[in-house]
Amino acid sequence: MAPDWRTIRVEFYGIPRARAGVAETTIGFAGDAVTFAYVLQKLAARFPALATDCLSGDGLRDGYAANLGGMKFVRGPEDRLSAGDTLLIFSADAGG
Amino acid sequence: MVQLQNSFQSSPKLNVSQTTPLSLFGYHGRYLRVDVGTESADFVPLSAEWLRRFLGGSGLGTALLLREGTAALDALAPESPLIFAFSSLVGSPLTTSAKFAIVSKSPLTQRINDSLVSSGFAIAGKKSGCDALVVTGRAAELSVLVIDDGAVHLEQADDLRGLSCAATEQRLAARFDPDFCFAVIGPGGERQVRYATISHDGRHAGRGGSGAVLGAKNIKAIAVRGSQRCQWAEPQALAALAKDLSQRSFGPATAKYRELGTAANMLLFNRLKTLPTRNFQQGSFEGASALSPESLAESRHRTRAYCAACTIGCEHIYALRPGESAEDSGVRLEYESMFALGPLCGVDDPDAVLAASKRCDEIGIDTISAGGTIAFAMECVDRGLLSEPWLRFGDGAALLQALELIGRREGFGNRLAEGSRLLAESMGAEALDFAPHVKGLEIPGYEPRSLHTMALGFAVGTRGADHNRSSAYEADFSQRADRRQLTADSATLATQTEDKAALMDSLILCKFLRGVFTDFYAEAAEMLRLVTGADVTAEELHETSHRIVSAKKLFNIRAGWTPAEDILPARFLSQSLSDDPTARLTADQLRAGIRAYNLARGWTAEGWVGSDLLTRLQLTEFAGE
Repeated sequence: MAPDWRTIRVEFYGIPRARAGVAETTIGFAGDAVTFAYVLQKLAARFPALATDCLSGDGLRDGYAANLGGMKFVRGPEDRLSAGDTLLIFSADAGG
Repeated sequence: MVQLQNSFQSSPKLNVSQTTPLSLFGYHGRYLRVDVGTESADFVPLSAEWLRRFLGGSGLGTALLLREGTAALDALAPESPLIFAFSSLVGSPLTTSAKFAIVSKSPLTQRINDSLVSSGFAIAGKKSGCDALVVTGRAAELSVLVIDDGAVHLEQADDLRGLSCAATEQRLAARFDPDFCFAVIGPGGERQVRYATISHDGRHAGRGGSGAVLGAKNIKAIAVRGSQRCQWAEPQALAALAKDLSQRSFGPATAKYRELGTAANMLLFNRLKTLPTRNFQQGSFEGASALSPESLAESRHRTRAYCAACTIGCEHIYALRPGESAEDSGVRLEYESMFALGPLCGVDDPDAVLAASKRCDEIGIDTISAGGTIAFAMECVDRGLLSEPWLRFGDGAALLQALELIGRREGFGNRLAEGSRLLAESMGAEALDFAPHVKGLEIPGYEPRSLHTMALGFAVGTRGADHNRSSAYEADFSQRADRRQLTADSATLATQTEDKAALMDSLILCKFLRGVFTDFYAEAAEMLRLVTGADVTAEELHETSHRIVSAKKLFNIRAGWTPAEDILPARFLSQSLSDDPTARLTADQLRAGIRAYNLARGWTAEGWVGSDLLTRLQLTEFAGE
């Protein structure tokens, strides 16, 4: 691994977890930050079923949401994620 | 008015004095008002204009309740009406439209209560020839109210006394023809547990105690059937729209409900520390994983069920124990039931939580209020405020025992049956600080300190602490709000979600469909146009939703509401979560949000509804009551 290789953790909940088949994964990248679109591209390549049902182009399909650290929602392809961040991806409708 | 004859003596059924139905599309243009005490009934006309103003379901029920003029009465008084309200969409091909609202004054809050429940009773009830059923009075003996295609009578129900909700429906199904549908109460309703439910086909009008209201009328069940179908204004276009809506209902917006059910919230909420635990002392629960649908599906059989006329199929039924069949011993398990009987009581044993949920269904009591009241009592025991040492956080057997006592109103169960507010009031000021209710209705599974827009929605809700009527969590789980900050936009967001919920509850459509719409108000207007023929617009429906919410507030004002009720318990405004010290909400922040909400609604800053607004919203007929 290159000396400046960093990671963010991605946690899946609900349908994204079912599609990914895992509760969480790690995305590595060079540098200090990466775009949301980059992370989704990596996830799409790693989890084809996730790509089919939950992702669309360089974003999320309607019905899904992504949140940084449980506090800030992200959706724009150019939104920045920093090394060490945790990204949560889950079904958007929180009704129950 | 025609006197009914009690048919258990095999007397012929009598027809109620008829009002000729109006030539309306989608509606009958009348409601049926039955006094089970005097054994009399009338069909009362409803104008097209009035129906257009209040639509159906929650809106129609609220307006009829206001019209009855009984807001000042105790909820369990014989004269306090219980209203079953259908809508123009009931019986249509639109997915999720087989729903009805049950509206009354709540014995738990002594404020308005509207609860919804699904399936065949809605369709059969509307086919009996009315747009709503108003029940008042108290029957001389425990009875079944039978509405048979316009004919009304009472039958004795002594053989049903003490039966669970499911057993009651089974017994009635054996007694009546197969085209009858039933709304029933269990032992909880018979004993007037303040959060007793009305059940139909295994589903419950859960919150607020409508089952106690029916029990106070000495009515064990209502049986309905009919043949009177409404016509649609544009049936072909409606069928095409219905087909399109059904297809969209299979998309990603509903995938969570179809594949995992509402229980999918468990792990996400736990992660976000918004999963109320041990009577709202923590926001996460170490046992959450064992109660998740992912874990449950690994350990036991699961099946799915659908309400009538629904394409989503959100109901997930789990076998009570591993190795058993869900079809044989299953229980419908929703997130709210899981949270209230699991983390809120500190119970991590899925067998115990499932058994508790099933027992609530059998007794006919609301799982949220039952769990909330029991959890509150558990904390009182911890603090030495109650001398019931058997009732401890984490003890699944104690949870089940508490439910048994509630259902029988026996021993300490008699106090638990009153709800957390009355229990706290019997213990004094310290207990009131952490009794988990608003206006007497126990708080559902969304931690207010972690979801500030939801907190605002809880505080101002006319039904009390209510995630469903408010739906403000939609804002907290989106980019539109910072869930840890009440901002200038929070009030607007809270009114928007509340208005949309009021419209969905009056159309009536299931809220799980909401993600399917791109422009909900415009699409709802189109649905109504095709069903009723009225030239309804999206702008009109915005006003209609505002009218319905304000009408509910008006009822509460008539019932004695004061601004002091719009608040959260002191715990939520003075303590952070023990596992998330950053989750804080102050009284000043909340009060500022409440003031902004009231002004956004066009009410006074304190929350009163002025005469100018009553005029604008066409509510002046209720102004003088």
